[in-house]
Order: sequence, then C-alpha cells, then structure tokens
Amino acid sequence: MKSGSNLERVILSGVPAVTAELGPPMSADGSEIIHKAHLLKGYCDAANITDCQTAVVRISSIAGAVLALREGLEPVMQMTCRDRNRIAMQADLLGAHALGIRNCLCIAGDHQKFSAAGRLKGHPGAKNVYDVDTIQLVGILKKMRDEGLQQGGDKLDVPPKFFIGASWTPGGEPLDFRPINLKKKVDAGADFIQTQGIFDVEVFKSQMQKARDLGLHERTAILGGIIVPRTAMMLKYMDSSVAGVSVPKSLIERMARARDAAGDDKKKAKALQEEEGIRIAVELIHQVLEIPGVKGVHIQAIEWESAIEKIVKAAGLYPRPVFD
Amino acid sequence: MQCATTAIFHTYHPYGAEIKETRPYSPCRAACPAHTDVQAYVGLIAQGRYNEAFEVITAVNPIASVCSYICHHPCEQACRRCSIDEPLAVRHLKRFAIERSLQYRHAKRRHIQKTRGKSIGIVGSGPAGLAAARDLASIGYDITIYEKHPVLGGMLAAAIPPYRLPREALKEDLDDILALGIEVKTNFKVGEEVTLDELKARHDAVLVAVGLSLSRSLNIPGVEGEGVLLAIPFLEDIAFGKGPKVGNNVLVIGGGNVAMDVARSARRLGVPRVSMVCLESAEEMPAWKWEVDEAVEEGITINHRWGPKAVRRDNERVLGLEVTKVLSVFDKEGRFNPTFDHNITNFIEADTIIITIGQMCDNNVFKGSSVKIDERGRVVWSQATHMSSTPGIFLAGEVVTGPGSAIAAVANGHRAALAVHLYLQGENVEGLLPSFEREKISDMPDTVKERVARHSRIKIRHLDPETRCKTFEHFEFSYSEEDALKEAGRCRGCGGGAVVDSNKCMACLTCQRVCPYDAPKVEAYSVIRPEYCQACGLCAPECPAQAISMVSYDVRQFREGMKALIGSLDPNRHEPVIVAFMCTHHIGVGGFNLPENFRIAPVHCISRVDILDILKAFECGADGVAVVGCTTESCKFKGVHERVEARVKRIQELLSMLSIDRDRVALLRASSGNGNPYSKVCGGFAETIRNKRSYKP
Amino acid sequence: MIVGKQKPIEEIWHMVRDFKRVLVFGCNTCVAVCHAGGGKEAETIASLLKIRASQEGLDMEIDHSSVMRHCEPEYLTPVIDGLRRYDLVLSTACGVGVNFLSERIGNIPVYPGINTSFYGAVPEAGLFVELCAGCGNCILHLTGGICPIARCSKTLMNGPCGGTNRGKCEVSDDIDCAWYLIVERMKQLGTLDRLTEIQPPRDWSTARDGGPRRVSVEHIRAYEEAQTAKEGGKA
Repeated sequence: MKSGSNLERVILSGVPAVTAELGPPMSADGSEIIHKAHLLKGYCDAANITDCQTAVVRISSIAGAVLALREGLEPVMQMTCRDRNRIAMQADLLGAHALGIRNCLCIAGDHQKFSAAGRLKGHPGAKNVYDVDTIQLVGILKKMRDEGLQQGGDKLDVPPKFFIGASWTPGGEPLDFRPINLKKKVDAGADFIQTQGIFDVEVFKSQMQKARDLGLHERTAILGGIIVPRTAMMLKYMDSSVAGVSVPKSLIERMARARDAAGDDKKKAKALQEEEGIRIAVELIHQVLEIPGVKGVHIQAIEWESAIEKIVKAAGLYPRPVFD
Repeated sequence: MQCATTAIFHTYHPYGAEIKETRPYSPCRAACPAHTDVQAYVGLIAQGRYNEAFEVITAVNPIASVCSYICHHPCEQACRRCSIDEPLAVRHLKRFAIERSLQYRHAKRRHIQKTRGKSIGIVGSGPAGLAAARDLASIGYDITIYEKHPVLGGMLAAAIPPYRLPREALKEDLDDILALGIEVKTNFKVGEEVTLDELKARHDAVLVAVGLSLSRSLNIPGVEGEGVLLAIPFLEDIAFGKGPKVGNNVLVIGGGNVAMDVARSARRLGVPRVSMVCLESAEEMPAWKWEVDEAVEEGITINHRWGPKAVRRDNERVLGLEVTKVLSVFDKEGRFNPTFDHNITNFIEADTIIITIGQMCDNNVFKGSSVKIDERGRVVWSQATHMSSTPGIFLAGEVVTGPGSAIAAVANGHRAALAVHLYLQGENVEGLLPSFEREKISDMPDTVKERVARHSRIKIRHLDPETRCKTFEHFEFSYSEEDALKEAGRCRGCGGGAVVDSNKCMACLTCQRVCPYDAPKVEAYSVIRPEYCQACGLCAPECPAQAISMVSYDVRQFREGMKALIGSLDPNRHEPVIVAFMCTHHIGVGGFNLPENFRIAPVHCISRVDILDILKAFECGADGVAVVGCTTESCKFKGVHERVEARVKRIQELLSMLSIDRDRVALLRASSGNGNPYSKVCGGFAETIRNKRSYKP
Repeated sequence: MIVGKQKPIEEIWHMVRDFKRVLVFGCNTCVAVCHAGGGKEAETIASLLKIRASQEGLDMEIDHSSVMRHCEPEYLTPVIDGLRRYDLVLSTACGVGVNFLSERIGNIPVYPGINTSFYGAVPEAGLFVELCAGCGNCILHLTGGICPIARCSKTLMNGPCGGTNRGKCEVSDDIDCAWYLIVERMKQLGTLDRLTEIQPPRDWSTARDGGPRRVSVEHIRAYEEAQTAKEGGKA
C-alpha cells in the first residue's frame, strides 16, 4: 500500500474504480465545495479537485481538497506545473499530506492564455512557471515518497505518502507517440492514470492495445475519462476545439435529434438532451470498462455534479465499495 | 602607367559618369570608338530629357548630327537586346534627341577666349580634324583649319551624298564648332600654297588630318578614256552640284560603302539601269548590310564573285566589263588575297563604269616638307604620340589608321588633340595617351533573357524606293515622340543599375529576394552583377540599410528636391497640391497634360519610388501623393506593380497611424493611349482629395 | 539573429515630443535584417515624427542617421560626439544597443524605438520565428535539433502535453507544437527511443533565471589584460 487512500484500495481490490470531478468556485467562500461534495459522496471512490482549470483563479485545489475531505469525500488533489516552481510544489505537497490528502494528479496545466477559452478575462499576462513538467513532477513525488528526499537531495523527516496520478491523452498527436509518452509517466512513477474524455472508443481500444503491449496496464491503473455530454453544441465544440478529443458523428447526431424532438420548447430540449447525454455516458462507461487493462472510469460532469448519481447508478456501478 | 585622359576636353558628365569609369562599360558604349555613353543618353531620352541627352551625345562627338544620319552604329550591333529580340535603334534615337534640342543647342553656342597663347594649324576638316579642332579650341587654343575643298567637312561634305547626309545636319555640327571662334581657310591646298614646314612655322603645332581623299584606280586594259569614272570625283561632282556625265547603264565596280553611295547616287541621277560587280559574295561584302538592302530595294543588281579583267570599248564608247570568276577573296590568314579561275569569264554590259575599289591619301599635302613617307607611299608616324617624323607635326584619322568609320576618326582626333595639348604643355607624350580598349559587360544570362519582355524595335520608316530614287532628299522619317519614348524604353540600362556599398551592407538577403532578375549575389555582402541587372530600381528602396545606390540616378533625388518641387503652399488653397510620381515610359514629361496643382516627379519606372519619397511629400505639406504607373502588360520590368502596391499599402498604414486619411495616397494606372489617359486618372484622384480637411493645423 | 519590431509611432511620439532636438539612430545589423531599425526604418520614423510634429505645430529638429552596430564601441566612437548635439537619441537598435549606447553617451537620454523580442530565423521573406531562448545549456542533441525551451509554450522537457491540437500548440494556431515536431524529427533520425528516457528537472541557473550572464573568451581576455598591465606599468 503506497498511500492507503480509498482510491488505491479500490484499485487494488480489482473492482473498477470510479472517480469524479469537483470544480471549486471563484469565491472566497467554500460552501459551494461543501455542497458539491455532498452531491458526489458515495457515488465515486474519490473526486478530483481541479487546480485553476483553464487558467482561471478559483479556490486552490489543496484548500478545496481539505474542505471536501472534511465532508467525507476523498479528494484527488491536482497540481499543475504552470503556477508553482519546484520549491512551492514540494512545500504544498508536504502541507497537503499533513492536512490528510493522499491522492495527487500531476498535470501540466492549461496555458494562462486560456482564460476559460476566452470567455473570462483571466490572467493571460501572468508569468508562466513550468519549472518542471508533469513527468518530472511525478518523479519528484515518487522521490519524496519512496526515498524520503526532496528533488534537490535534502532529507524529509517524514515522507509524504501519495497515490501518484498523471493524465493521458491517448487520442492526441502524434498518435503513435502517445503510448510511449504514457510509458514515461509510468516509468517516472505514476500509480494511476486518468485519460482525456473518450468518445471514439475504437481509437482508445487501439491505443490500449499498444499500452498493453508495453505492459503498462499492469504497472499502473488506467481509468478511462468519460465526459458527460449536456448539449449537442457542447459535443460539437469538443470535437472541433478540444485537443485530443474526437467525437463520432453518430453521437452528435443523437444529441441533435434529442434536441430537435423538443421542437421550440427550450426547457424540454434541455431536458431531452441531458437525458440523452447521460445515456451516452453510460454506454461509453460500459464500452470502456470492457477493454482489457482499463481499471476504472473518471467521470467528468462539468458544473453538473448532480448528474453523477444518476450515471453511476445507471451504469451499474453503485454502490461503491467501502473499506475500513 | 600614368594615363592622361581626353576627359579634359569633355566637361559634361551625366550622373554616374565617375563610377562608370571604374566598372566595365555597357556594350554599346564599349563598342563606340569614342565611347559615347549611349546608355546614359538613351535613358535620358526615355525620360523626355532631350537637352541633357544632347549634352551627353555631344560631349564626345562633335559631329553628332552627322552621325545621327550616317554612323554605322557599332553600338547597335553590340546591344544586348540583339540576342533577345532586336537592338535599340540608337542612331535614330540620337537623331530624335538632337532634333528636339535644337533651340537649346543654338543657345549653347559660345565663343571661347584664346587663353593659351599658342596656335595650332589643322589640315583637313573631316571628322578627325573637326574633333581635334573642337577639343583644342574649347580649352583656349587658337585654331586655324585649312581645307582644300570649298566647304568644310572633308568626305562628309565632298563624298557622302545628301540623301544619306543632309547638308543641314552637317551645317549644325559645323556651326557648333565654328562658334567657338575658329579661323577657317577653305579652297586652301597645303602642299601647293604652303608646305607643312611653313605651316609649322606659322603655328606652334600642326595636325594633318587629310584622310584618304583620292580614289584608287584599276590597272586593266580599257580603263583610260571617257566613260570610266573614279568614285570620289564622281561623288564630289554631285556634292558640289556639277552634275557628272553618266549614261543609261552604269556599272559600279566595288563592294564597299562608297560603292553603295556611288550606285545609289547614280540611280538618283535618273540612270535607269544601275548594277554593281564585286569580288565578294553577299556575306563577304564589306558594305553595311542595310546599305545593300536599301540599294537592292532601289533596283540595283549586284553581281557577286567576279573580278574585273578589262573594259571593252568600241572606239571610245564603253561597251561593258569583262570579268573573271573569283574563287576566294581572303586567304587562310584572313588577308585580302583574291584568287581567280581564269577559265571562267563573263561580260557585263554597261555604258559607264565607276571604279570604287578603295581610297588613298593625297600625298600632295606632304610635298616639299620634311615629313617622311615610306616606300609604300604611307606617311610615317608613331601611334604612341601621333607625331610624324617632324616634331610638332601630328597626324590623325584615316591618313594614318587606314579606312574606317567617321566615329572612329573622331576618336582618333580626340587622341591626337590630347597629344598636341600635352606636347604644347612641354610633356613627353609617349606613354601618356589612353588606350581606347574598354572591358564591357558580358551578355545577359539565359535566365534573365527569359524574363525580359519582348518588344519589337519600332521600325524606322522610309520613303518607298520608287519615290526616293527620284531625289537626293533624305528618305528616313524621324521618330514621333511617342515612338521615340517607346523605343528608348526598350533599353535595359546596362551598367546603369544598382551598386552596393559594402560598408553598409550586412547581407540580409532582401535585395536577393526582391530582384526579379537574380542580379544580387550575396556572400559576405551583396554584389549586384551588372550582366544581370536591368536597372529597374526595385531593390534600392527595399534595402533596410540603404546600402544600394543606382549608377544612373540619385536615389535621394526626390527626397532632396521635394521642398523645391512643392514650392510654397497657399494655406487658403482650393486646389489640392498633389505630388505625382509619373511613369514616363510611354509619354515623356511633356505629354502628361496635368494642371498646375500637380507637382510632377517623372520616373523611368515607378519601381524606384521609395516610401521615404512619399513621406517626404507629406512632410513638405502635400495634400496627396499619386504613384502613377503604366499597365502591367506594358511595363518594361517584372514584378513592379506588386512591390509598389505593397509600398503604397505600407504608406497608407503609416499615415493612418498619424490620423492621415489612407486615400491621400494612391497607386494609379494610366496609359498614353486614349483608353486611360494620365490627365483623367489624376483628375479623378484630385477629386477624392479636394474636399478633405487639412491634416495639419 | 536578434529580432524586434518597431514600436507604434504613437508610442514613440509620446516618448520624444517634449524634446527639441531628436536623432533617430539606426543600426544596420540584426534589426536591419528584420526591417525594424536599420537606416531605412530610422529615416522612416524620422519622417513620420516630422509630420506628426507639424500636425501639432511643434518646432522640433528631427534627424536620422545609422551605423553598422550599436553594440561595439568601435562603431560608436567615430559618431558619438555628433550624437551629443541632440537632447534625445532614439535608438532603433535592439535593447542591447540602447543599453550600450546609454552607458557611453553621457548626459543624453537614449530611448528605444523598437521592442526587442527574441533570437530567430527567417523561414520566409518577412517572417521571423523564435527558435532559441538562450538558456545557456543547449540540449538540442536530445531533441532532434528542435528546442523545447524556446518553442514549447510550457517549456516541457518530457512533452507533449494533452493540449496538442492538430499539430499546433493550444496557445495559438500560429505555433507548431514543438513536441510534435520533436517526435517527428527523431523518427526521421531513427532516434525516437531516446525520448523514452526521462529528462530530470532542469538546472535553469544557466538561463536568465540565474541572473544576467557574461561570456569571457579566455585567450583574448588574457592578452587584453596583459596589455593593460603593461600600459599600466609604463604609466
């Protein structure tokens, strides 16, 4: 047992793991986090607390994770490489561990130019740090946990025991390099992997085959990313504008038909699309879990945490295992 | 070896003259025996600057009008357009420029004070003598010309018939020279009235430039007697209005230019049948090809490859010429050494025979003097000093060079004048005279030739052969201004193009990318290769270090002259003051027909307009700037419009940053035809500017 | 070479408008190549400023000139007295030139006419792209000659990240994903397997992060110092 976290236990048990996502608010008041934590508790094994996603300032992942922890929801803290240098990162990790956090996802972080795809002002002029990259960060966590050493070589009195995660975009270019890219993450010490949203299952299948050929599925727990579609427009946007995500036409058409079935009734259209979206999500969960080497799913219902319960139940993944 | 230069006589230097001396000449200039800067004056004609063209022409050529009619134009034969389409009609352009600058020419005539205190006697007033006379008179020597004929001009007056050289043309040249203040003694035969030694005693130096004024005869049976004439006396009779006696069937023996003159003159005397016989084949004939073509047009038949054997007579009457077959004219070494097959003979009917087989010096001029003649009858001289065997008696022209062209005699006359001048200054002439050999720019590479737009030479129109044979009037029509500008625009500006200052250049490769002809070669710094460069002027305004200048014009000209061009501005003006950069390719400066509020800056192509020129116009308060080019199809150069468009767009950007309306600058197209005249195009532009508020307080 | 871009004329105008005698001073090396500050651009700026001055009715003397470089004293010494005639020199050299001239000119301010950006190359006429970040410890032998520090927006050493969008960086379609290029290049070279090695966290102290840098060419410095010592001894 590396960290003793709930997520780790679920994975070790062989039951397909379920992680969800909790987005902190743009506010100094944490009550929304508490509210969302209650929506997710019991329906997932752990929930990612995003770290200034799309380079927008929100309550930090560590603070959000602590608030979630207090509500009984196991957090997966996220640490981007964009905002902190290795000194701040290691200090925050020590602190996070001291506050009870046991899962950490290492990601590069959207470039500060993003600012929620331009819909918010954000801070495009901020100095970007990127002192270390994701793979190096994974290595830092591993070194701290397993050798009790800081990156620079100084000793840690008590090493932080983290369950180390990294992200993977199996459908990104160059396609043939992505399995190698995954291998590097695993070699660096990634215990679990959460992938970018999967819609084109065939592509994911073929990439998983390559990952299995490299033996990666046995060294790390790959959780397939499932983004829950809410509208036909959102699916279209993801297909055209989100890197590494391609959506089969058939799925977009399904959402479109659902919308059209409501005619002019906007409220009905919303409801029909959401229903269809959940249906699609559940189908994808099943398809993904069938792929050998996949150890679970990471379900993202963006600003729609309330849907998680329905989805998890409809996918037959409820109840979640409980360990003492 | 220190070399003096004949430049002391030639005070007019077009822009770029100095730098051209340090580089290979344009092939036209190198081919001219006097090294007339052909590229410079053709370029000036193309911009409508006829007076300046006249200055360039006459700087080295005192018989410019004459040459504009009779020169054999070696410049044209060397023109680099020969291997593309057809050479520039340089001679005809020369004539056009001279005709257009007549008033200027007359106003220029000046008397020169005799400041040197030395006098020179010049014997002979042909091209060599006239060149030397002008040169020496122009720097203050006291000159007297002695001419055996009643008029000045040597063979120009006495032998070249008026249908080739109108007397008025010769007169203009002579008047220019005489205006300097030269004494003239015509009908004066040196060697009879005085000896050369006596002449030398009268002056400080004597120059003998008597040419080859006697015709050679043939030593064949039947030559003596009526009906057989020699060329020069025949031509002189015509020149001086004496009307030579000829029959109805004239046969001219000879294949050179003088033979052509004789034959064509005979035609014009009304002789119904004129034919020629010569040793040479059509290809070997020494006469200029165009002379032969024109003669054939005039109905003259030429019998090739026959050698004169005897004149057949019936009592005194000439019946014709017996001839022998010619096997070859030149031997293996290329020397004149005809061989015959005496078994093949022929008979050509004629009632008059004119022998035109070459000329020799009238050695009477040397009679009773100390000047040595060699055993072959040729005067002894030194080419290095132009001096005869007698100190102070110099020689120039055909009398020492042998038969040649008028312009070659001019060049020789310049050289002799320098020799005389140095001698009179007490210098040892030997080794100080310049060689006239000059390196020339090599032929255009094939890749460049492909990119040169094909424009046929504008034809020189002649009177039809029938009409012109009836008179001794000159038969070529002058170019119209439009034709002259078009023809001059075909010039590729060889040697007048871009030059890089290596101190400023930092090999940024911009010129290499801009040039449509691959002229720049960039290694440590850029070098513009003259055999590629078309002098379009595109590169200089693009160089970010301003390291490129143009040999033919001052790239800073417009910037520096802008204030003067715009003049003072009436703050209450109604008409906008517009600076217009106008392409002169088709229309010349005079033809723009623009109202006064337009300040015209003529350019040989809009390619040379720099954004800094346009900005300067606004600095000086112009209300608008128009860059007016011809159409892309008629443009002489490649890629000009796209580049200039980009420059204009940039200016519009820059002006908008100063809150100055973009449409105060425009790139316009116009043509000289009725389709889109300059006046209309510019007028439209002025309209758009008229109602704008001033951009300055 | 060094690449920069001219400042907008309005900004320059506001810098210079309070001065009476201004020299726009161009540099004919790097900034001429990128058409930002060579003699030609210096003259252009001068011309625009003159027009601007007359628009505001300001009486200003605005001249222009240029030298080969502003970053070596041998090019400045012959002209520096002439520069002191002005009360402002607007240097259109890169930032290096502005600094260097400022240290030598004395009592006269030197303002920058261009914004200096990066070290770049010229893939097409008029296009300049950043290819080197001057990190001081070149690792191009590990990445097929394509620099992840200069050309990856996130300076990833073990890229790509998940943001690669059709071979372009998530930041902009004008930016190629450097890691995409690196992978393809190393495939071409047959050295793709090197990319399986994990690059450890980098020592950035050789870059600007470690403070302003200097390079000393020992054999030249040794000679120069010896000369100075000799002259010092003599004096």
